[in-house]
Amino acid sequence: MALALPDDVKVQIRLSTRHSDIALPEDPGALLVPTSLRRIALSSLVNNLLHNEKPIPFEFLVNGQFLRTSIEDFLTQNGISAEATLNVEYTRALIPPVHTTSFEHDDWVSSVDVLSLSSPAGVWSNTVVQSGQERILSASYDGLLRVWNLSGDVLATSSPPNNGGRITSLKTSRWLNEKKIVAAGLDSVVRVYKYDDDTRTITPSLELYQHKWPVEDIAVHGPSNKILAASADGTVGLFSGTAKDAPAAPANLLPNSTAASNKRQKLSKPDRTVPARGALTTLSGHTQGVSATIFKPDDATVAYSASKDHTLKTWDLTTSSVVDTRTTAQSLLSLAALSKVNLLATGTSARHITLVDPRASATQIAVMTLRGHTNGVVSLDTDPSSDYGLASGSHDGTVRIWDVRSVRAGVGSEGQIGESIYTIQRDSAGGKHIPSHGEGYKVFSVKWDREVGIVTASEDKRVQINRSQ
Amino acid sequence: NIDPESLLPKLPSPEELKPFPTTCAAIFRGHEGRVRSVSVDPTGTYLASGGDDGYARIWEVGNGRQVWNVKLSNDEPVDTVRWRPGKDASILAAAAGEHIYLVVPFAILSPDMEQSSRDVLDAGWGYAASKPSTETNGVTKEPPSRWTRPGDSMEKKGVLVQITVRKEVKVIHWHRRGEYFATVSPTGQSSAVAIHALSKHLTQLPFRRLKGLPQSAQFHPSKPIFFVATRNSIRSYDLAKQELVKSLQPGAKWISSFDVHPGGDNLIVGTYDKRLLWHDLDLSTKPYKTLRYHQEAIRAVAFHQGGLPLFADASDDGSLQIFHGKVVGDLMENATIVPLKVLKGHQVKSRLGVMDVDWHPREPWCVSAGADGTCRLWN
Ligand SMILES: [Mg+2]
Repeated sequence: MALALPDDVKVQIRLSTRHSDIALPEDPGALLVPTSLRRIALSSLVNNLLHNEKPIPFEFLVNGQFLRTSIEDFLTQNGISAEATLNVEYTRALIPPVHTTSFEHDDWVSSVDVLSLSSPAGVWSNTVVQSGQERILSASYDGLLRVWNLSGDVLATSSPPNNGGRITSLKTSRWLNEKKIVAAGLDSVVRVYKYDDDTRTITPSLELYQHKWPVEDIAVHGPSNKILAASADGTVGLFSGTAKDAPAAPANLLPNSTAASNKRQKLSKPDRTVPARGALTTLSGHTQGVSATIFKPDDATVAYSASKDHTLKTWDLTTSSVVDTRTTAQSLLSLAALSKVNLLATGTSARHITLVDPRASATQIAVMTLRGHTNGVVSLDTDPSSDYGLASGSHDGTVRIWDVRSVRAGVGSEGQIGESIYTIQRDSAGGKHIPSHGEGYKVFSVKWDREVGIVTASEDKRVQINRSQ
Repeated sequence: NIDPESLLPKLPSPEELKPFPTTCAAIFRGHEGRVRSVSVDPTGTYLASGGDDGYARIWEVGNGRQVWNVKLSNDEPVDTVRWRPGKDASILAAAAGEHIYLVVPFAILSPDMEQSSRDVLDAGWGYAASKPSTETNGVTKEPPSRWTRPGDSMEKKGVLVQITVRKEVKVIHWHRRGEYFATVSPTGQSSAVAIHALSKHLTQLPFRRLKGLPQSAQFHPSKPIFFVATRNSIRSYDLAKQELVKSLQPGAKWISSFDVHPGGDNLIVGTYDKRLLWHDLDLSTKPYKTLRYHQEAIRAVAFHQGGLPLFADASDDGSLQIFHGKVVGDLMENATIVPLKVLKGHQVKSRLGVMDVDWHPREPWCVSAGADGTCRLWN
């Protein structure tokens, strides 16, 4: 028979991975495989080579693209000859995260954080967070913090602060460890709370005054008890979470500092006073509001900040000075560090995510641009199980999952272009199409936790949890 | 044979003129009835709005969240809201009926910002009382306005000053330094155009007689020149010399609004007869360009004031039109005007569409007020 059936067409592939725990024990060299193979068959092949008794689902990247078709169709679509040897990179498959549960609130939920065995605060805790004992922290525009268990029970709720008649809406909240919570919002004050899981109470322990306009984001570092606050006043405040280490609060910012405000505060009869302190230092240099700030993951003497002035700054916290400034073309709204690949991801008002290498020369603005959102990208977090994964929350009402290895060539200053792998919709929308303005469904905050899953806060007044089953 | 088209200068394509607003990024819902006016605060953080429900409201620009409101009138719409320029204080001016209110929305301010804002408004109390009343032939003249405290319930919300003038105020425009603001009461005849001095709580009427019915008024961005639009013409006056400088004839049946380019030498005019006119003050008293893009009346026009070559208009057909408008310093070269985008989304209600438009102070984003009860952010 001279006629070759499609099944007979073969191609040489060379397998590799960037993960040492799933690397092949010995190099099989170039393998000849039928072009009719798809992901599932390739996954079995790798599992066989690994002698895995319990197969691991794998994904395959060819030329920066995930294989979603047969090899044959991939070759045809990309104009690649079957004569060439294909370099095929494999990685653990990211299983589509499905909705597991939602926690209903009375008002917009602006922020979420997770306390689990592997979450930053869990790692910094003195006691081990047992499986099933994870805690979700939510902050709302109603001015309240809530701690939830995974069954959706509210274990504790904070009381609204007595701030002299100011708005109490919260924008950001973090676990500092299993007993400490930090939160801030529209009244510009950073507050530290003691959380007691036994008595189910959230009690204010310290008020930190420095900012003149709302605090948009905070970052915490448990071991040093430090807090960074990004403010609409254009500065980043560095605070201590312990009163005795902190300087006095600036008098002009205290609620009782003005006659009118003092009168209002007295009328509201505070039942206790909370110690008030100031910032250890203030990082000045941005010319507009700061939207987001993080500590450098492996070095808490370095901070990064993203601002509406279009810049991303690197700060040396020991000298309170700017180390590096990257200027983009957009208002920057969110920030996360992919530390293993030395990239910072920043979400923009122009609906995309820009990846910047803070070490590289300033001539290159973006290493990569992730496109797909249809409104501002206001929250970012990294995949706890991969060095390449990102989750982004947007005002378009979706969360998108990205793998920065999945890219294609771009043009000009945008670097390589990436597209999202999965899109998580709001369960509250019931499958209904949400317009790009996201009215009613804007996502404000996303946390990706190894134990709990992808946890998001939204204008739909819910915390939603999605998990790969 | 020369193709006449080839002699025309080539206009750049919209693609080359990015960034400009293309999409609705947020909807601000909360007013009952029409929203009449919108204004973005000098920091670009907050949006103020006023509407037929008698409320002034403040929202977070970025996400459409309402963070503050006050009811200013039980029976009259809030026709205009305008933030005072400058970042030293946070003061909102709003007008309902014949009252102008000056507001320090302390609920969204830090204590020191509240204090510096209060100081700006409080400085003028008692100033008028210390001055002898104006008398002509022994008859005490009715003052053009009264500056009073609006009463406990309003003051508790931060409404600290009420200025009562003779007729309904439709337009407020601040001088860039934040010391003066002008108001227009179209039915006010000799008191139709007023200039108010904040630190003295003093109102002056610069024009004894005005030809035509005033529609809008504005200060020149850098010179002591004041523009007044009547139904058919726009006149500029030298405030120091108290004399007419120029009279523009847009050829409009009924001017609704105008705005002055930040450079001061060009202005745009919107008309109820559906036209948008660009005037170059160096060229002629007639419009340099006439733009007819709307099916219905144009109610508001606005230049970007933060350095981007953009302007916008708002129409009763429910749309906003975004234009590139580049002014060159060179006297020999005229402005380049390119239509960029039609922004659709507002519903037309009782033949009214988009009532007002304002730009973000820096970004290529605009906000609109709709008869459909919403404000919208476009980016
Ligand atoms: Mg000229």
